[in-house]
Amino acid sequence: MRVPFFKMFMTSPFEGLQEHAEKVMECAWAFQQAMECYFADKCKTFEEFRQEVAQIESQADAIKRRIRGHIPKRTMMPISNFLVFRYLREQDQVLDAMEDSLDWISYRSESRIPRELEKDFALLVDAVIDPIEQLSGLVVEARLYFKKFSEKQRVVVKNIIHTLRRQEHEADNYEDIIKKKVFNMEVDAVTIFYLVRLAETIGSIADHAQNAGDMMRAMLAK
Amino acid sequence: MPNEYYVLIVGYIFGFYMAWNIGANDVANAMASSVGAKAITIRQAIFLAGILNILGAVFIGSHVTNTIRKGIVSTEVLTDPHLALIGALSALLAAAFWVSFATWKSLPVSTTHSIVGSMIGFGIMAGGFSVINWTKLAAVVMSWVISPVFSIVIAFFMFKIIIKLILSKEDTFIHALKLSPFFIGATFFVVVLSFLFKTPLGKKLALGPYASFLVAFILAVSFGLAGMKALRWFIKKREGGAETIFRRIQVGTACYVALAQGANDVANAIGPLAVIYFLVKTGGVGATVPVPVFLLLFGGIGIACGIGMAGHRVMETMGKKITALSNTRGFCVEFAAATTVLVASKMGLPVSTTHAAVGGVLGVGLARGLEAVNFSIVFKIMLYWVLTVPAAAVTSMVIFKILQFLL
Repeated sequence: MRVPFFKMFMTSPFEGLQEHAEKVMECAWAFQQAMECYFADKCKTFEEFRQEVAQIESQADAIKRRIRGHIPKRTMMPISNFLVFRYLREQDQVLDAMEDSLDWISYRSESRIPRELEKDFALLVDAVIDPIEQLSGLVVEARLYFKKFSEKQRVVVKNIIHTLRRQEHEADNYEDIIKKKVFNMEVDAVTIFYLVRLAETIGSIADHAQNAGDMMRAMLAK
Repeated sequence: MPNEYYVLIVGYIFGFYMAWNIGANDVANAMASSVGAKAITIRQAIFLAGILNILGAVFIGSHVTNTIRKGIVSTEVLTDPHLALIGALSALLAAAFWVSFATWKSLPVSTTHSIVGSMIGFGIMAGGFSVINWTKLAAVVMSWVISPVFSIVIAFFMFKIIIKLILSKEDTFIHALKLSPFFIGATFFVVVLSFLFKTPLGKKLALGPYASFLVAFILAVSFGLAGMKALRWFIKKREGGAETIFRRIQVGTACYVALAQGANDVANAIGPLAVIYFLVKTGGVGATVPVPVFLLLFGGIGIACGIGMAGHRVMETMGKKITALSNTRGFCVEFAAATTVLVASKMGLPVSTTHAAVGGVLGVGLARGLEAVNFSIVFKIMLYWVLTVPAAAVTSMVIFKILQFLL
């Protein structure tokens, strides 16, 4: 027997967002492994990790499509569905940026990062992993806020967003240092293009994480 | 005339069937949030709903029913007892058919509106369009809109109060416990008041409105405080915060809804049956007929049977479906729905428990209490508001013609 009353209750999009965030976290781990492998001298597993990242990305894509497909026009949520979609888009672009970075490397797999830039790149990668870790807690904490609406919990979420912003700024700094150094190096133009673009793509991971945070901030608006 | 006894038997059967349908469909509205929030088990829900529906029907259900519900149709159509008998029977049959069709197709219709519609159909057949009291009908239509809105408002403010005074606090447990007398008391206040107004029990006590309010208030306060003591006694673990408190309170509100439902909906099933009964026994009928207690009991048992037979399946699906409803939210939904239904039925307005329950959920949703609610149900319900009455009316007309030919 189907009762109309139950048709009102639908799966919360937050559940999907959380699942998606977990995928981002999982992907970050594989991304980090791939990058470390790339920095190492004789790396054989880079391609494996790149495939893993691509695979996780496509899984996350399926989650994204599922969320989008299950919010009908007249869904009543504590926040506008526009914000949910924007948040999801930014969180998904974090994944895309990770995949893009590895793809970029794979186009020029014979090349290596110059010794004097190795440390800077390692720092940059670490700097973009930090915001992803923050991001994974963001949905969980925000959900808690929408359960209790306590000011304290709101501050917790706002603090995460604040941390995201700070970490993005740090990642930006590392990106700038790399770019500056690259242009002062005695290398061919193609290598310069390659390195600058690589730094920018890695840096954009943190950008998108921060954008996701900004969307969450909009959801918290009273 | 033995013919009339056959009519009475058919009346009993369809009255019971109607009550069964109410039980099978509407129990979900009463107990859904409590079962979904894991305040009670399915078995407990069925047992409580069954008992309390009977209690509500017998003790709070109206003991005097208007021959034609709410005076929408003028009583001049009832001057011919034979015609009135056929009319009451066809109204009952039409409503029962429409409700079972709706159940089959899972359309959000109201049993209350079906019976009103079929009564109109009979009125038109028996006396033409002139017997329909259009202003009364308009008032009834208004009440269908007002009752969900009323429920939305109650649920909205109840949830806002709970956020402001309990959920947003550091220690939700202690705040919930402190305020529990208010929530328990409010429930008791409405229940006691509806006992005191317009029931034989209330008449015997013969309290004036002020005295009734005073009695209800005193009882509410004392029950509220006793409830708090009991909660303090029973709940030792405080990790769950406010939700653990509301889980216990929700057992009470689930009962509240079942009680209100029994009181309100029993008339839908046995209102026309009472008319048939009266016509067969006395041969005539006035503007109102007294409803014998055994008929109320009959209706209550019918509802309880519906709950018992179909309740399990309904509740199993809903237990899985509405996990989103936490105890505080469930409390607001149930409190709003039951209060709306009890107040409206005491004011003599035909309201639907389903719509009141839907209103409660939307109220909590508007207060940002739910992560996702499908709002489109509202438009569907509005569509079936508009459809139910004519559909039941036309069915009633057809059955009336057939019966007139047969009897």
